[in-house]
Amino acid sequence: MSDFLIHVSAVACLYGILALALNLQMGLSGLVNFGLIALFGCGTYGAAFAHLWGWPPLAGLALGLVFAALLGLFFARLGDRMSEDYWGIATLSLAEIMRLVFTNEQGLAGGAQGVSGLPVTFAALPADTAALARLALYAALLVVAFVICQRIARSGFGLSLKLMREEPQLARALGYDLARSRRIVMVVSSLMAAVSGFLYAHYLTFVGPEQLMSHETFLIWSMVIIGGIANNWGVVAGAILMQFALAYVPFVKDWFDVPSDFVAATRLIIVGGGILAFLIWRPKGIFPERIGGSHV
Amino acid sequence: MIEASNIRAGYGDGPDILQDISMTASAREIVTILGPNGCGKSTLLKTVAGFVRPRGGAIRINGEGAETVPIHEKVRHYGVGYVPQTDNVFRTMTVTENLLMGARDLSRDTRNERFEALMTQYPTLANKRRRKASALSGGERQILSLARALMAGPRILLLDEPSAGLSPAMMHDVFEAIGRIRDAQDMCILMVEQNAYEALSISDRAYVLSLGKVALTARSADLLNDPAMERLYLGGDPDA
Ligand SMILES: Nc1ncnc2c1ncn2[C@@H]1O[C@H](COP(=O)(O)OP(=O)(O)OP(=O)(O)O)[C@@H](O)[C@H]1O
Ligand SMILES: [Mg+2]
Repeated sequence: MSDFLIHVSAVACLYGILALALNLQMGLSGLVNFGLIALFGCGTYGAAFAHLWGWPPLAGLALGLVFAALLGLFFARLGDRMSEDYWGIATLSLAEIMRLVFTNEQGLAGGAQGVSGLPVTFAALPADTAALARLALYAALLVVAFVICQRIARSGFGLSLKLMREEPQLARALGYDLARSRRIVMVVSSLMAAVSGFLYAHYLTFVGPEQLMSHETFLIWSMVIIGGIANNWGVVAGAILMQFALAYVPFVKDWFDVPSDFVAATRLIIVGGGILAFLIWRPKGIFPERIGGSHV
Repeated sequence: MIEASNIRAGYGDGPDILQDISMTASAREIVTILGPNGCGKSTLLKTVAGFVRPRGGAIRINGEGAETVPIHEKVRHYGVGYVPQTDNVFRTMTVTENLLMGARDLSRDTRNERFEALMTQYPTLANKRRRKASALSGGERQILSLARALMAGPRILLLDEPSAGLSPAMMHDVFEAIGRIRDAQDMCILMVEQNAYEALSISDRAYVLSLGKVALTARSADLLNDPAMERLYLGGDPDA
């Protein structure tokens, strides 16, 4: 396999984990989170702080998971107090606040410059083997995340999430404690996002605030919408598809000999246009959610 | 047994929709709440259920203070079943699934037993058990919603206009069924209704609300036979 293909596949796996996390929130539970990237950021900055403080990398993972669980719980608590649409705006604002704080506080993880020189995962192995080992690790974790999501979707707990999405008042009237369900699903999905962020940090060997731009959140949204909202197979397929589509844009530029601005513009068109096109013509995505399968 | 005393309630920072309402409903009793549109009937039911937290007054269920108990706990604790006026089915789920949702804490055997009993009782639902609820008519959804509440075997049933949108024949069936479950299961039933004659004829007592207050409370039979009440609150006797 070419280095490039391995690279694109590795990143696709990390995005796949993020897409599964967003799908737990948005797809299964109807929690419209526009601030997903902040939860990913908990993982990247967990790695960054551990590196700065001279801790071993795995301590950074623990740190990132703690950050993510707390932030996820905070998001969930906000949801107790406001309606869905306001919650979406609140999550977007919180993610932006986090990014701006990291950009402007020079004393905090290098400010806008970020933190570089993190150890790359499997640094001890020869370069070729290490790349393959990383891909294998990410793919294995993607499978783990997938299995967790499938189990949740088919469980009684997953059912309460679907009822929350469909008709929350009614679900409460049948005895479902939706505040609790929301807390649990937010924590589980936040932990998944943080794992992805932690691995990403030790893949790029760099952590910076520009990784938390809100268009990253929308990229993950596009993966979920295109792949198939509330279908775990679908969102993983969406993540792989989008990641490959975006990765090959520069080649298209070379073939057709168009200016470099083209690359950035085309990425935006693929993400924005993809979301729009699917919402209009195929709102259920490539792999629609399966309904009618009894969960009880 | 429900005892509400001096309830004040409203939405958000809006005005008091309920102003000083007191009412009771006991086991083996059907209490009907009547009144014009927008007078606060649904709000009263939602306050008793626990969707709306009262701003003042007390709600006691089986003698325990329950003003601040959220609905999902009331369901488990006191066996409250609530059938809302609108948005009363899970649209993307089948009729069967909707019914099973109502019985989350039951053993498989009890659940299947009740399910089959309801299927026999409501052939309309039985014929469409594999249909998505979004494909049901308004009246069919109403019945599904009632049947789902019965799946859990509630001890206290709160019904918000159970007969809305039903044909006369179906309405008769539903009211008859409600009367039967009161007697068979010692249930405490609090019911908001617009079809006053039908509702009063199966219920024991009634409260007539007006602008967030109890304008009148009486035994259903007395209310049915009182010509003044008919003119004032029920819009006249159709047979007169
Ligand atoms: N969710 C809400 N938020 C704000 N105000 C509300 C809400 N629901 C109802 N109201 C207001 O409370 C008042 C009483 O409404 P409610 O639904 O209790 O009336 P009702 O007696 O059930 O009427 P109907 O016979 O039409 O069902 C109305 O003025 C209505 O505008
Ligand atoms: Mg009403």
